[in-house]
Amino acid sequence: MFKRLGRRFRALVGGARLDRQMDQELQFHLDLETNRLLQQGLTPDQARTGALRTFGGVEKVREECREARRTSWADTLERNTRYAWRALRRQPGYVAAVVVTLGLGIGANTAMFSVIDGVMLKPLPYPGSDRLVLIREAAPLVGQDEVGVSIRELYDYREQLKDFDGLVEFHSMSFDLINRGEPDRVSTGVVSANFFDVLRVRPVLGRTFVVSDEGHGAAAVLVLSYEYWQTRFAGDPTIIGQVFEMNDRPHTVVGVLPPMAQYPENCDVYMPSNACPFRARGEQQMAEGRRRAFGGLTVFGRLKPGVTVERAAADVAMVANRFNRDFPTVYEKSDGFKANAVPLLQEITRNARPMLLMIMGATLLVLLLACANVASLTLARTLHRERELALRVALGAGRGQLAGQLLTESVLLALGGGALGLVVARLMLGGLTSFIGRFTARTGDIHIDVTVLLFTLGLSILTGLAFGALPALVARPGPAAALKQAGPSSGGTPRRRRLQSSLVVAQVAVSVVLLVGAGLFLTSFYRLQSVETGYQPDRVISAEVFGNFSRFKSADDFRRLYLPIVERLERIPGIVSASVASAVPLGSEQMYMDAPVRIEGQAVRTKNGPTSGITIATQNYFDTLRIAILGGRGFLATDTADAARVALVNKALARNWGTRDPIGTRVSVDNGETWMTVVGVTANVRQFSLEKEPEAQVYIPLTQSLMGLPGRVLVRTQGDEQAMSQVIRAVVHDVDPNVPVKNISTLEELRRRYLSRPLLTAMLLVLFAGVALVVTLTGLAGVMATSVSQRTQEFGVRLALGARPAVLVRSVLRQGAGLLILGVALGIAGASAAGRVLTRYLFDTAPTDPLTFAGVAAALLLTGLVACLGPARRATSVDPLQALRSE
Amino acid sequence: MPPTRLDLLQGTLDLLILRTLIVGPMHGWAISQRIQQVSQAVLQVNQGSLYPALHRLEEAGWIEAEWGRSPEHNRQAKFYRLTKSGERRLREETRQWEQMAAAVARVLTGEA
Repeated sequence: MFKRLGRRFRALVGGARLDRQMDQELQFHLDLETNRLLQQGLTPDQARTGALRTFGGVEKVREECREARRTSWADTLERNTRYAWRALRRQPGYVAAVVVTLGLGIGANTAMFSVIDGVMLKPLPYPGSDRLVLIREAAPLVGQDEVGVSIRELYDYREQLKDFDGLVEFHSMSFDLINRGEPDRVSTGVVSANFFDVLRVRPVLGRTFVVSDEGHGAAAVLVLSYEYWQTRFAGDPTIIGQVFEMNDRPHTVVGVLPPMAQYPENCDVYMPSNACPFRARGEQQMAEGRRRAFGGLTVFGRLKPGVTVERAAADVAMVANRFNRDFPTVYEKSDGFKANAVPLLQEITRNARPMLLMIMGATLLVLLLACANVASLTLARTLHRERELALRVALGAGRGQLAGQLLTESVLLALGGGALGLVVARLMLGGLTSFIGRFTARTGDIHIDVTVLLFTLGLSILTGLAFGALPALVARPGPAAALKQAGPSSGGTPRRRRLQSSLVVAQVAVSVVLLVGAGLFLTSFYRLQSVETGYQPDRVISAEVFGNFSRFKSADDFRRLYLPIVERLERIPGIVSASVASAVPLGSEQMYMDAPVRIEGQAVRTKNGPTSGITIATQNYFDTLRIAILGGRGFLATDTADAARVALVNKALARNWGTRDPIGTRVSVDNGETWMTVVGVTANVRQFSLEKEPEAQVYIPLTQSLMGLPGRVLVRTQGDEQAMSQVIRAVVHDVDPNVPVKNISTLEELRRRYLSRPLLTAMLLVLFAGVALVVTLTGLAGVMATSVSQRTQEFGVRLALGARPAVLVRSVLRQGAGLLILGVALGIAGASAAGRVLTRYLFDTAPTDPLTFAGVAAALLLTGLVACLGPARRATSVDPLQALRSE
Repeated sequence: MPPTRLDLLQGTLDLLILRTLIVGPMHGWAISQRIQQVSQAVLQVNQGSLYPALHRLEEAGWIEAEWGRSPEHNRQAKFYRLTKSGERRLREETRQWEQMAAAVARVLTGEA
């Protein structure tokens, strides 16, 4: 075969050389013929002319040879395409069915591939981004898969690693930028001075940071993102040099970034590392000896030329080991602290990757199902065309040529499907992109571009070959078939029937796998959303009312803001209860988390001691959220600033008391400086996530708090929620007109937003499974119909002999059930084996959840039998006389 | 009576070429000579039409060609050889040809 390809290639490319060879060959022949005639006694002249005469026109021969050579490849393809076009035009119904089916299947795959290409395959939009590498720390032995880098560690890495051309830090914060008196909450990226240099990003206006910006006492500067510059400042070209107040300091804008997706996060503005007040405090603590102070940095760098990622990873790991060795009190053996280096792109897509691959797998399965259906359809069509094909064989088409012909048809159909698929993909891409945006930040590069087009083309051709191969292999009509009459029992040979049955069984198995996947996600979602949360979100509105750092410094300042707000809100009719708290369930993160807790009477443990989140709240907090108080009391009006300090703990924290009652003992959350008496125990509240176990919590009344807080107003209302949000705004501005009221939403909405990710995932899989089921049932019905038409004689005879129609129906159904049971069994086997990949996405649901499996099996069997009913009923409407006659 | 010269159908020519090559590789001129020989000069191959047929058979993969040295004439010549699929094709076509010929013969003798 390769010789043939080689020859064809040479024919395309080396025409002139082949011409010369042909001339040589013909000349050889002429010379020999001339020689022969010479030996017969003719004169040389006569011999030559004689030879030429018997040869025939040399030019003509040359032309014909060239034509014979050219009948390869392009010509065959052209001929096949013409025949295919004509043949397909005669079967519009079949063509429509195939193109639509394949269009949907290929379209879904094209859309998914665009997403995968845009998220995982394309390099980051920075020049030389494959040299960008992230340092990743972890403490796996204490369950910390990912640990941020601390300031001290970053400096150590910089000193001790020789692999990098610049190691930079990044962390993001939410600050207020005072723009013409209006505070604007901006997401701020706090970065090293050479951050943009390492990324090789050039500003579109002004400059990025320089080393001196990071120096002590340097004036604070800002770099704006392109989007923020456009939306907030309408692209004002005079923005450079303007000064805004942030965190009590004037910040001068020195540059604007170009329009591009940003990594690691999208930020509105950027400031140098020394301008962040929290980081500054961290530096102070570091100077006092706390090695892990401010341990939330993302650190990455550009590899020096010639350094491989592997070497960098090894070096980073070595440095981390040195940390373990030199600071055993900070990095205890039981933590298992380690570090390595990974390419930045890989890190960014880490969360999305399994989800993407899973969905891609599902889409491919759906395409496979569609192919099986189309293959079955085509098999049936080939039967109808037996005479036409046999004629062609009789006219000299070889078996290979016939197969090529049929394959050309199927590839043509598949290309049509692919074209339709591009349209389908275009429609799907928007929704798919926003879905995947919940898993990764990298959605800016998802487009239908040349790569995707090539993928679609390749996939279409493969699909065409796949579904066409089966019928092409099977189509082997002998010349005698052209003369045969197409009889009623031309359902085909047993071989064909077995092929169709196997196809159906395979389809059923694949559908089972998809249905099980969908079922598992649905079950997981259902269990997630019905998990006990510890509070009641209905009719509660929350709003972020954050006091600016510059104006609100002490706890008293915050009390002066929040207490009047609560008081006024409670006086409003329609509001059942109001409070302000430092955290809202399922809202953004709590400010105080993992604070070490000291319990009076228990030994102090610096490591592995109890930690807890701290919620500062006003008196009616538990009432507003309907959090149950299990023992003792809630906050009372008597818990004033001069009264004894009190606190509540939740059940999770109460476990630290063992069997003793926590009420009456004292706790401290500031390392023993101040102590509070526990006066009540509350139920556990799932504060941040529905999946994780509730964290320990200490509740401190706002009236006694020593710390400030980012206050969230919580209002339980009887009336209209929309109207209430206006009321809240009015009341807040009544108390202090300069405090922004942001993110007003009901707790129900927060919960819905939180659940949207697992819900959408489940819905997506249900969609796939639904499509798969429909495709499979159609295929099953088709095969049963064919089988019934083949058994018409048998049915006719049985009916004539007095069989009841119900018996025939049962016979057909039994046949269908056989296929279904086999397919379901295979599918269950496959799903149990493959299910393990889903474990990390499932909540409280095993990948072999028996309920789901049973449900899917039952559903498939039932719907399958229903699908067989139609053909089964047709079996009973066979006219026995007719059937007997066409023997 | 001089033997009639029949014009050969294209397919038949293919068959004859394949049959001739059963004995071994040959170049074009030798093939034409042999066909004439064996058929006792009844089948006169229009020598020119041999070459397009040879090229076509080569395209179809039933014969393959190699340039070699012709021993008798000490020149470069293109030798053709039967391939496996060519052998299969030969068997298949021969069978069909014989069937058809027998059928035609039956009809003729029956009518006679």
